[in-house]
Amino acid sequence: MAASIVWITLLGILSRVIILGSHFSNVLSDRVELSTPLTSWKRMTEGMFLIKNGISPYLGDNFHEPPLLLYFFTIMDNTTPALIPLVFLFLDLTTAFLLYRVAKYLLRYLLSEQIKEGPSYAKDVDVLLLKRSSLSSIPTLVLSIYLLNPFSILTCSAQSTIIITNVLVTATFLLTLKGQWWSATLSLALASYQSLYPVMLIVPCAMHVANLKMQENKESISYSSPTAVTIMLKIALSFLLWSVILITLSFLMLESWDFLQSTYGFILSVPDLKPNLGLFWYYFMEMFEHFRIFFLWVFQMNAFIYTIPLTIILWKCPSFVFFCQLVLIAIFKSYPSLGDITVYLALLPVWSHTFHYLRNGLVVSVMIVISTVLAPVLWHLWIYAGSANANFFFAFTLIYNTAQVYRHCRAVESL
Amino acid sequence: MDAVLKTIMFLSALNCFAISKDDRFVEELLIKPLPNGYVHASFHFSIFWNATISSSTEHHYNLFPKAVGQIIDNYDVRELHLSLTQGLWRHDKWGYPVRSAPPGAELWAWFERSASNSVDESWAKLVNSLSGLFCASLNFIDSTNTIQPSLSFRPSGVVNDLDATSIEYVRYATLPRENVCTENLTPWKKLLPCDSKAGLSTLFNAIRLYNAHYHALTIDLQPVCQSFPECTSTALHLTQSMSVVFRPTLSSGQRQWTLYSLFGNRLKSACPLASESFIHIDISNESVSDDYTLTPSPSVVTSTGGRKVASYNVADLTAGQNSLNIHFNWDEDMTYGKTKPPVLHAHRFMAGYGQEKGGITCMIYNNHPSQALDVVYMESLPWYVRLYLHTLKIQTEDGSDIKPDVIKYTPGKDRKRPYMLELMIGLPPASVITINIQFERAFLKWTEYPPDANIGFYLGSAVISAVLPSSANASVGDYKTVSLLSSLNAKSPTSGYFTRIYTEPLLLQLPLPDFSMPYNVICLVCTVFAIAFGSIHNLTTRRLDYEKEAKPGLLSKLKSFLGIGKKKSTDSKVESGEKKGEKAEDKKSDDGISKEDGISKEGASGDAGRTEEDRENKKND
Repeated sequence: MAASIVWITLLGILSRVIILGSHFSNVLSDRVELSTPLTSWKRMTEGMFLIKNGISPYLGDNFHEPPLLLYFFTIMDNTTPALIPLVFLFLDLTTAFLLYRVAKYLLRYLLSEQIKEGPSYAKDVDVLLLKRSSLSSIPTLVLSIYLLNPFSILTCSAQSTIIITNVLVTATFLLTLKGQWWSATLSLALASYQSLYPVMLIVPCAMHVANLKMQENKESISYSSPTAVTIMLKIALSFLLWSVILITLSFLMLESWDFLQSTYGFILSVPDLKPNLGLFWYYFMEMFEHFRIFFLWVFQMNAFIYTIPLTIILWKCPSFVFFCQLVLIAIFKSYPSLGDITVYLALLPVWSHTFHYLRNGLVVSVMIVISTVLAPVLWHLWIYAGSANANFFFAFTLIYNTAQVYRHCRAVESL
Repeated sequence: MDAVLKTIMFLSALNCFAISKDDRFVEELLIKPLPNGYVHASFHFSIFWNATISSSTEHHYNLFPKAVGQIIDNYDVRELHLSLTQGLWRHDKWGYPVRSAPPGAELWAWFERSASNSVDESWAKLVNSLSGLFCASLNFIDSTNTIQPSLSFRPSGVVNDLDATSIEYVRYATLPRENVCTENLTPWKKLLPCDSKAGLSTLFNAIRLYNAHYHALTIDLQPVCQSFPECTSTALHLTQSMSVVFRPTLSSGQRQWTLYSLFGNRLKSACPLASESFIHIDISNESVSDDYTLTPSPSVVTSTGGRKVASYNVADLTAGQNSLNIHFNWDEDMTYGKTKPPVLHAHRFMAGYGQEKGGITCMIYNNHPSQALDVVYMESLPWYVRLYLHTLKIQTEDGSDIKPDVIKYTPGKDRKRPYMLELMIGLPPASVITINIQFERAFLKWTEYPPDANIGFYLGSAVISAVLPSSANASVGDYKTVSLLSSLNAKSPTSGYFTRIYTEPLLLQLPLPDFSMPYNVICLVCTVFAIAFGSIHNLTTRRLDYEKEAKPGLLSKLKSFLGIGKKKSTDSKVESGEKKGEKAEDKKSDDGISKEDGISKEGASGDAGRTEEDRENKKND
């Protein structure tokens, strides 16, 4: 077991190092599928250059990362620029091992739940039950899916800063499962500070911690019990506290609030229509101007609104709500990239025991593979060869998202 | 009554007399034969007025155009420079023009500090007034193409207060795509004291002017000193100039030209309001071999600082019924050859391929064998050209990097502000330096593209400002003196000759969406949203009910809130549920679930089928 983990890790590191070390890394960092205006390494370089030359990068519209990240990389660049690719490699490996631990904790938790509720299950549900053997095999599978997934290898090699959101979100998940809410909210606050959408993960996070607390106290699960309410309030407040601290720190560093408009304003109002794998760019490119604000609200509310029905219906397993939220963020965020789906793809095997009735599995997988292979081809035909137009690329982003939507709905349905 | 009238008349007569003494009008035409058969004709109409315009005082306009005066008055303009140009001035072949101008329209102005209007408001009003005055599309100048350069466009007139030179008060904008034609010429020449009824402006013949290789209409207004060097009070100096480059060899095959062959008109008079009316012919290049003849012979030939100019006094030569038609003849036929480029010239072009990224490269040539030149390079690019300053590279021919002495950079803001980059660079003697900067093309909304989106977008010229060590090969004017000739020959060894070079404008292709697609895109994207929203809505709000016995394992987690309270009625439903469940099984067989799963499948997917039937049962109960 341990040997296979070592081999997989080595293979993962090797593939990343080879690409990071070659000039191919620059080519990748310009790819629309991997880098969005929010996460592109080129824009980070521009931000670092501007701040070194005494120009605020938030004056213009080329830089949208939060200030603390900018300062972190500026310091890195000033002292040890050669280490920057290694930082990305390290963060990506951390994500992989956090995912491994997440899978372990999660399966242990699910198994204990299953044992507890076992007597109430019907006789012929064996196919849907979690096996004890998967406790050791699935975490390795999760690790290897993340490390050997071409999407995560490419994202890491492109030095897309979505890597940082991924590591923070995974850390939040792990800390939530462990019930360490104080540090879980910190890492969630950091993730939201960078890319805003993870803010909705506070709900499953609080629910799960409350769940654990109630189990500890041997209470029956009810979110209106005083224990649950206090712990959930504590989590909300600590999240707020961390966020306020982060924003205030950023303000103190820059002495201006410009960064709010240029990071969160940018994420929410979608002014940059550079194509990506999401649904926003072509829609708002082709939108009639007087409906723009309306649809902007609809689309952004759509990204957040699923939290409510999912938490209501899946109130017994907030960890699955957490997972669902990751999928929905990857589909409905304003600037998605391939880096967004790597985390939830890796976590998919954790619930594999419930996928016995998963429908359309082949169709969905083929749709994702086809769209990710053909999207770059049609991008080339549109932008470089001039023999296709925007619709071709758009069609494949549609397929990609439809496939994700289908897979997600089937996963929810089968649970 | 009579006495009062007389007094008024007397006073107004006095007033008129005073004003006519205060303003002066000079008209001049400089013709310069250029290498390879080109001829450059540059008209200059200068009005010098010992007055300052401010809203507090009333003015009687005599020679100075009232339309311009009112604009200055209303919008607190201190300096105004406008050019409307068709064609590109080729510095490497033609040397320098008297007043350089970029292709398209260029407008820059310095404003006075004003309590009532902000500079931005005044600028917006100014461009709209000028747009109306010159029938040009200057109204397309707005915040998306206006910049505030800090090095390239300093005040050219006198300034009494250093604070007033802060970049807060300057605005600069270009419209590289602006076309110039007779509808601009007509209002422009109406500002002249003699219109085109008399004087040099009678040579304006639209057919000839707009057939030329290069055509520029400019108007420059700046405050100057009433007297040098004490400069106790300021005066207004308005210069209207028109530059045209002809190529007589194209039409006649002959190198020689006459006023008639160039303009299609003979000169019949000088403008009676002009205090001076001259035609100058620059023969500096011709003087090496005296193989040319000028008829009639010039009134005076001056030769200062390497420049030899033959001048004709139009008023004298057109006295009586005479008309003036200057002939310039060469004894030998034209020989074409490579021309020696001037000290400083530049060439700019687009780099890269595809419609995603790109680069702008500008090569600046310093041909001076021994002297280094300090130049200021300015780029002003629209917001959809996302400049990456960190990619800026300045290199000499041998590949060594040059660090600019000063970088002034204003990043652009989407749909609000253009990018502005100013660099002060030292050019080594006899060198070519290459400035390269990378950009990314933005994607616009479909309504932001012009109707002919496939042509592309014009990017304005880069501006190179420099102080040249000598006036050789140049016809650089100094606005501070009224007469063109004296300004050409003005020698100020300490400061040198200030000149601006405008490079080629660029044509940028932006990636295009499909303009016929809005409804399709809206429908398709909304469909994907609907699939997601519909499915999740369906899965989460459906009332799920089930029989305890057939319920499979973890599926209990799907138990909805509403399902919890229904335990009471479960017994009654079991019977009906079983019967209807069979029906549901048949119905659901297209769900892609293998049949072997039997009862548990029934339990899993039959839930959905049953819900409605349960509802019916409930109703019946």
